[in-house]
This record gives sequence, C-alpha cells and structure tokens, in this order.
Amino acid sequence: MIAYIIRRLLHTILVVFAISLIIFFSVRLTGDPVSVMFQAGEPTKEAIAEVRKNLGLDEPLYVQYGIFLKGLVTFDFGESFRSGMPVIDLIKEKLGATLALAFGGMAVAIMIAFPVGIVSAVKRGTGVDFFGRIFSLIGISFPNFWLGIMLILIFAVNLKWLPSSGFESFKHLILPSITLGMILSGILARLVRSSMLEVMNQQYISTAKSKGISDFAVIIKHAFRNALLPTVTFLGLQFGALLGGTVIVEQIFSWPGIGRLIIDAINQRDYPVIQGGVIFLAVIMVAVNLVIDLSYTLIDPRIKIGGSRS
Amino acid sequence: MKKKLSSLFALLVIFTLILSACSGGGKEKASTDSSKGGEENPVKDRGNEIVIGVSGDPQNWDPIDTFLLDWSTVATSVFEGLVDRTIDLELQPGLAESWEYLDDKTLQFKLRQGVTFHNGEPFNAEAVKFTFDRLLGAEGQKGPQYSNYTSIESVEVVDEFTINMKLNTPDPVLLTKLAGYGAVIVPPKYVAEKGDEHFNNNPVGTGPFKMTSYKRDQEIVLEKNPDYWKEGLPKLDKVVYKIIPEASTRLAELQTGKIDIMKRVEVSQAETVKETGFLELQEVGTPTAFSLRFDVAKKPFDSKEVRQAINYAVDKEAIINEILGGYGKPISTFQSELSFGNNPDLEPYPYDPEKAKELLKKAGVKEGTAVDLFIPGNDGNFKEIAQAVSFYLEEVGIKVNINTADSTTLTSDLIPNAKAGHMYRQGWGGWTLDFDNTAYLMYYEGEQWNPSFKNEKVEELLEKQRASVDPEERKAIFKELTELLYDLAPELNLYSAVDIYAVNKRVQNFQPPHEDRMRLEEVTVK
Repeated sequence: MIAYIIRRLLHTILVVFAISLIIFFSVRLTGDPVSVMFQAGEPTKEAIAEVRKNLGLDEPLYVQYGIFLKGLVTFDFGESFRSGMPVIDLIKEKLGATLALAFGGMAVAIMIAFPVGIVSAVKRGTGVDFFGRIFSLIGISFPNFWLGIMLILIFAVNLKWLPSSGFESFKHLILPSITLGMILSGILARLVRSSMLEVMNQQYISTAKSKGISDFAVIIKHAFRNALLPTVTFLGLQFGALLGGTVIVEQIFSWPGIGRLIIDAINQRDYPVIQGGVIFLAVIMVAVNLVIDLSYTLIDPRIKIGGSRS
Repeated sequence: MKKKLSSLFALLVIFTLILSACSGGGKEKASTDSSKGGEENPVKDRGNEIVIGVSGDPQNWDPIDTFLLDWSTVATSVFEGLVDRTIDLELQPGLAESWEYLDDKTLQFKLRQGVTFHNGEPFNAEAVKFTFDRLLGAEGQKGPQYSNYTSIESVEVVDEFTINMKLNTPDPVLLTKLAGYGAVIVPPKYVAEKGDEHFNNNPVGTGPFKMTSYKRDQEIVLEKNPDYWKEGLPKLDKVVYKIIPEASTRLAELQTGKIDIMKRVEVSQAETVKETGFLELQEVGTPTAFSLRFDVAKKPFDSKEVRQAINYAVDKEAIINEILGGYGKPISTFQSELSFGNNPDLEPYPYDPEKAKELLKKAGVKEGTAVDLFIPGNDGNFKEIAQAVSFYLEEVGIKVNINTADSTTLTSDLIPNAKAGHMYRQGWGGWTLDFDNTAYLMYYEGEQWNPSFKNEKVEELLEKQRASVDPEERKAIFKELTELLYDLAPELNLYSAVDIYAVNKRVQNFQPPHEDRMRLEEVTVK
C-alpha cells in the first residue's frame, strides 16, 4: 500500500512536469500581457517594450522556463502581473469559496440524484421511473447560466427569499449550489439508476430477497452499496473538475472562486497566475484520483491495492 | 410505441416548463409595469451610506501599477493629483493651489497647505517628489503608467510647499495627465515602511474617502475622511463597492435594493430600469470611440476612394438607433466630442449608397469583391454591428467575411502584426481627452497599432501640435489634421460610446462620470 502511494506520488511529479511544459509554452503562443495592461491608456511601442523588459519577458523562452521551474520546486509560482500578489496567496484566498461551492454543488447533486436514481431503478418502468428519467434529462439539458439567472429572478427578485450574489453567509451559498447541483444531479441520477439496475439483476440480490430480508434493507445494504462504486469514481472526478470549472456559476453569482481567477488571468495573459492555477488544479486532480482509488478498498473489501497483492 | 409516447410526453413536459419559466419573466415585467412609480423602495435602513455595483476589480490599488477604468472608478475617491479634473472635465487646482511656467521647460507648483494623508502623514513637497521619483524610477518602470509621464525630467523641492517640475520636452497634455492615474500623490513614509505589496492592497491617499477594507473580487469599503481639506465634504459616511461581473445579476441586486447605483447597464436592460418606479436611468457620453480600421496596405483599401465609398455605404445612424438603442453618438473622426481637437464642423459621412457605388466603380472594384473583417469574439453587441455593416456593404457589391478573435489576441497580436484582415474593430479609450495621444499612436508610422498607414502631412501636423502648449495654435492644427484625416478616411468611423447608469432614487446629486471616474463627495441620500 505504502509502496503504491509512493509510486503514485512519483507519477504526480511527472504529470506536473509535463503540464508545466504544456502550459508554459501554450500561454505564450497568443497575445501579450503588456499591451492588455494599458486598457485605459494608449502606450507607445517603446513603452510596451520597456515594461516587457522589466517583467523579464524579453529573456529567451528557455531562460524564462528555467526560472519558472526553479520556482515550482519551492512552490513559488511567482507574482501576478496584474495584482503584484504572490500567485500562491491568490489561490489560497480563493480556495475557501471554491471548496464551499464544490461541496455545496455535490451535496445538492447527491441529495437529489441518489433518491431519484434508486427509486427509478427499483420502480423500473413505472410512472415514478418515467418522471425520474425526465428529471435527469431536464437536469442535463438546462444550461447553467440560464438556470442561474432564472433562480435569481424567482428566489431573489420576486420572492426575495435569498440573496442573488456574493460570498458572505450560508444563505449566499444556496442558489449557486442548486445551479451547480442540478446539472450534476441529472447525470448522476442516470448513473445511479443504471448501476442499480445492473446490481438488482445479480443473483445475490435474489438470494438476499429469498432470505426474507426487508426490501428496504436489500436495496440499501446489498444493492446500493455495490452500485456505489462507479458513482464514487464519477463523483470524485467531478469534484476535481468543480474546483476549477465553475466559471459560469461563479460569474453569475459573483462568487470569488478559482475558476474566475484563472479565466481573468487568461483574458489578461497574466502568465504566473495561469501557470500556477493550472498546475494547482492538476495536482488536485491527481490527488483526487488517488483518493478515489484508495476509497475502493473501503467500499469493496475484495479490492486490494498495490503491493499487498503479493 | 409506449417508449415513443413517453418521450413525446417528456418533450411536452420540458416545453411546458420552459414556457412557464418564460411567462414567469413576463409576469414579473407586468408587475413592475403596474407598480410604476408606486413600487416601494426596497432600501430602507441603510443610513448615510450607499452601495455601488461595479463590473470589475482592478486587483491592485497602487496607482503606478494599473491603467484600468475599474481602478479609477474607486481610486478617484481615495487619491488626488496636483491638478483636479471635475466631473464636467474642467481642470482646476487639486493638491496644488496654483501653477505657472517659469520657462518653457519648468513648471512651478504652489502646494496646498494643511492637507494630510489618511494615515496622518503630512502632504508636502517631499511627498510630491517621492511620488514622481517612484513613478519615474525602477518601480514605476515595471508598470503601465511610466510612459505617460516621460516628459517629466525631475521634480525639485523649492520649499516645503513649492516644487519645480523640470520637463525634457514641452507636453501640451501634461496638466490633464497630472489629474489622475499614475500622477496621484502617495504618502512617502507609509509606502517606504509598509512596502509595495502592502500598498497594493491597502492604499492611502488624501482623497475624500479612505479605504478601510478590500476583499479581492468581492467588495471594497470606503469611509469618510473626516479631515478632508474641502470644507463640509464628503457628505456620505460610507461607500461600499460590490464587484458583480454579470450584468443581469447587477440588475437583480439593484431591483432588490442590495445596491444603490449600478455601473454598466446594458442597452437591453434600460427598459426594465425605466419601468421600475424607484430607479432612475442616467446616461453620459464617454470619450471611447469605435471604428472599423482599414489595413491600407491591402487591396482594395489602398485606394482612398474605396475607403470613402465604404464610409458612404454604411448607415451609421441606423446602427446607433437600432442596435445601440440610441446609446451612441455619431463621430466624424476617431474621437468623441469630448476630445480636445474634435472638429464640430465636420459632419460624419452621410449614408449615400449610390455615391458609394459610383466611387467603387471609378476605383475599379469588381462586384462581389470579398474582404475580411476581424472583431473581438466576446462582444455580442458589436457582432450585430458587424453584421449590419456586412449587410450595407453587400448592397454596394462588397462581400464581408466576419472573423472573430479572442479580444486579447486581436489587440496584442493580430492588429500590430497586420494579421487582422482588411478591416478590424478599433476601440479607443481616449483618457487624456485630447486628440494628441490617439492620433499620434493611430497614424504615426511604426506605432504599435498602426501597421500600415503613412502620410507625411499627417505626421508633420502631429509633430507640430505636440511641440506647442498654446491651445489656440493646437486647435488650428487639429482643425487641419481632422479635415485631412476625414478625407483620407483611414477608418470607417462608427460611434462614440454612451455609458448607462441606474440609480436608486434615494441617492441624490449623483452625476454619472464621462470616463468612469465616479465623484461622490457631493452625493447625499434621502
């Protein structure tokens, strides 16, 4: 097990190195951060060249990459061109909001999708199943910017129950979480339903039923637990994606998350922030994957990981 | 069969849901309609403070590190320059009480006495010297402000409240530039002790309000500066700026009373604001101009007649009225009416497709000639304008292929390297409100955003106006220059932008700024 984790960590270093190469050179392919700094002003060619020089952007690319790699080893992603703040501090600043939204979205998705998926599977072919499936279809098809704006109009503007934007209290988390969770729950409910159906056809379910265990216990203890495996994989990957990929929801609800940080940085060609942000997300993704793999052993004790096989 | 039926039913359900959601929106509109004028103001107990919804966060408050309109919206209340530009764009004494030219290259300022920074540090000649040494030194050269002030050689302290500004070249726009952005005065001791990074997030100036809290990408809190040097000002105790990038969310916050002033109202939202009893719509002309610039190195736009023909072929007024909802002003050269150097005697090219066809025929342009137009991909409104232009040009026999590009790529790569097709969108802030900067950088050979235009007479006039500090003389030169540029038609001039603000009626004396610099000293609430 330990050997396995160490192997995975070495693997992570390789991934980060590969990503650092790709991100470093790809952000430099189009556009120039210096001319964008002058939004309100009108710089001369000389002024632009001067600032480029002062930011070290006139050095040969391999020199710049060397400096970047050197920083990376010490977790120093450099300073943002725009705010002058260390990139690592910017990420730390946003991490709370990002995690809150990711957990909120996941919680909503699970609360909706698990019951809907299970009931759909158990009552397969009935009206309940039918509505369950329609529900997931709707969840999948709603664009989240539309859903977000609709929720604001209904719950903030008309009913005045909830605030429409900002990152202040638990109340502020509700609408963005629902927006994010709705989309996720559509896919998740379908996944739960299909893996439940698969499991329900297994002989051990019939065995369990024939032993006279209550239906509820069969469904939860025997069927659902076994159907959980593919769901956990999906949720884990989604969680990683949620940490960086909720830009639209963040935009609508003025949520100060990492997605917006990176998108703004891309628009401004703020190289250090783009590089640091993407590498941070990559590390998170790899870590989440590792946790998912390890969690398999908890869900299904038959699965053994790494060295303990021998 | 059953499956088919059920999917049909599913479709029906979705359709009904969407319909009901849409009608929900309609109902909402109806309810605001019926309550016009009578709807209760949702803001009740906010006291002597206002909340402003803005679209962006400049990320950095150090004046020498940024050149963003979002910065000036807030920082105008925190920092002050030697010179002040009023909301009506008049220059008046700021932290300097008066100034005079001792000779061509020496400008002497008498400073205001008894002014203190928000941290209690005194404002004096040393602070002014420190500010400009910093701006023109190593720290300033890393940022975008330095290049605006290179005509200043040095600042010398004469006595505690007098400084001499030594210039290396005459600069007719210098006084305007001293009224904002990089030239606002910063506290020497504070910056030296706390360091640049701290100053980025905790700015201290002499302005009517002091910044007491800044949460990046969330909110900025300003509180009244009780020791402000202007007697009795500011009138508000507190101003909060909320950063809300999405326009529909900003409007929702305004409708629910969470904010009092909304910056950047979209044209499509104007009606909703007008229909809401407790809100008021305010519009204001800006110095920002928009055009489609021709790459004159590419055929057929190497011909002046063809460029003029395009100007005749497009109905600019229809574009302003139909697409911009009237929120735009016609321009005859690439500057707004607010710009020094604008020539009010020049009428924009009239809409005359027959004349256009005639000119094109004379220039030998074949029917069906195709040209490439580049526009930024993130501007939906401008896409509609591009489509309208394409329609008008089709009418006179020119086919336009509209290409969209990422806006940063367009401005920083495609345009400077002449890779933006035959014509491309050019948007220009014009922050100095003087044609000097714009025209020089647009039409002087070799400048960043002038890949191909070259005219010796134009360059001669540009140099001549720059060498003079006499407004009358410069005015005469600009008259000649604008007439020449009008005839040469290096671009299809479309409009200068109009900004829309929405304001809760509890806010009194708010005047929308021409160039995003909100002035709040006189604002009160009822």
